[in-house]
Amino acid sequence: MTPGEDRTPDAGGDDQFAAEYVLGVLPANEREVLARRIATDADFARLVESWEARLSPLNSGYDEIEVPASVKQALEARLFGRGTPATPKSGLLQSLAFWRGLAVASLAAFFLAIAIPLFLPAATTPDTRLIASLAGDKTDVRYLAAYDARSSEIGLSHLAGDRTAGHDFELWVIKGKEPPVSLGVIPAGSHVHVVVAAGHRALIGSGVLFAISLEPRGGSPTGKPTGPVVASGDLQAM
Amino acid sequence: MAPQQFTTQDITKLIARVSLKDRAAFDLLYRATSAKLFGVCLRVLSDRAEAEEALQEVFVKIWTKADRFVVSELSPISWLVAIARNHAIDRIRARGQRTAAIDEASELADERPGPEAQVVAEGERDRLGACLGELEADRAAAVRGAYLNGDSYAELAERFSVPVNTMRTWLRRSLMKLKECLER
Repeated sequence: MTPGEDRTPDAGGDDQFAAEYVLGVLPANEREVLARRIATDADFARLVESWEARLSPLNSGYDEIEVPASVKQALEARLFGRGTPATPKSGLLQSLAFWRGLAVASLAAFFLAIAIPLFLPAATTPDTRLIASLAGDKTDVRYLAAYDARSSEIGLSHLAGDRTAGHDFELWVIKGKEPPVSLGVIPAGSHVHVVVAAGHRALIGSGVLFAISLEPRGGSPTGKPTGPVVASGDLQAM
Repeated sequence: MAPQQFTTQDITKLIARVSLKDRAAFDLLYRATSAKLFGVCLRVLSDRAEAEEALQEVFVKIWTKADRFVVSELSPISWLVAIARNHAIDRIRARGQRTAAIDEASELADERPGPEAQVVAEGERDRLGACLGELEADRAAAVRGAYLNGDSYAELAERFSVPVNTMRTWLRRSLMKLKECLER
């Protein structure tokens, strides 16, 4: 750098402050002043946002690092005042979710033993049958899904949890890192069938994920899940 | 378990729903983005316990400020990373006069070219990478280091053995050159 360059006036003014704010190099007191300007001065806020956009390709330099589950629990306690109230280290056996899960598991085992033969053709060989227990952490929606490769049908048993009024449940298959593919809206009823379209049959196999999202009536208008995923589970060979 | 793959559009919708205080959407948004935002907090703060605390605060901000995203022109993930970066950087600045310790640790900071070098490689593919390549190497490194690690002017000046004002001039000029290059 030549001395002449050093004396270049701050032609940028606000734009330079915005750039420095986004780069993050300023001391605490200057950052505070600029943060207040961002909140009150829309023009300045726009300059800051332009810099955030310009430098955002550098974000790829941040690794994704798995967060311990305790952080989410503490966050929920902080935001919603629930989570881990009296028993700070709620062990597995004290966990309501565990007992609920066990109840669902017993129900599922019962279902497998008794109910599956009712809606799967008896002649299917074991390796053409796949099952998934679909559940969500934050909902009480529970389905058991059984896929029969011979008939290309998914039998769905609705164990618990209702769709909200004016909405449908839509079933998705997710293979590895590929985007979800819709298998269709799940008809209402306790034992229902979804026929898998010919083009989607190749997606279904052991280890893929089935997920159910809550969608507007008639299903997602975009071809991708638009509502929350209410339940999901891996398909496993029987 | 939720779908592993969220598109930009998915995240946009999730933030929109979070602005309506939809907790299911908040859960999904957390699943989709917490690992990245934790990466930001941990990189800047270099301390797991503090990064965990910071991440919670970041998501509290996301919960309360999600409505502001609607008026933002940033991509959703850039908007989220900006919240995390600003929060983590405010936190290290608030650690106060740790400068003495940082002086001693400056060699340690110098040992971190790995991830940055990686960014150079990845960055070459985009225009920002190309424009950083037009800067003198040490200035490009200072810009990247500042952005990714949250280094302050004081820390950078120490590391590059120049006065703070010189570092400030370097970086201001570098940023304006970057802008000019990106707008060409």
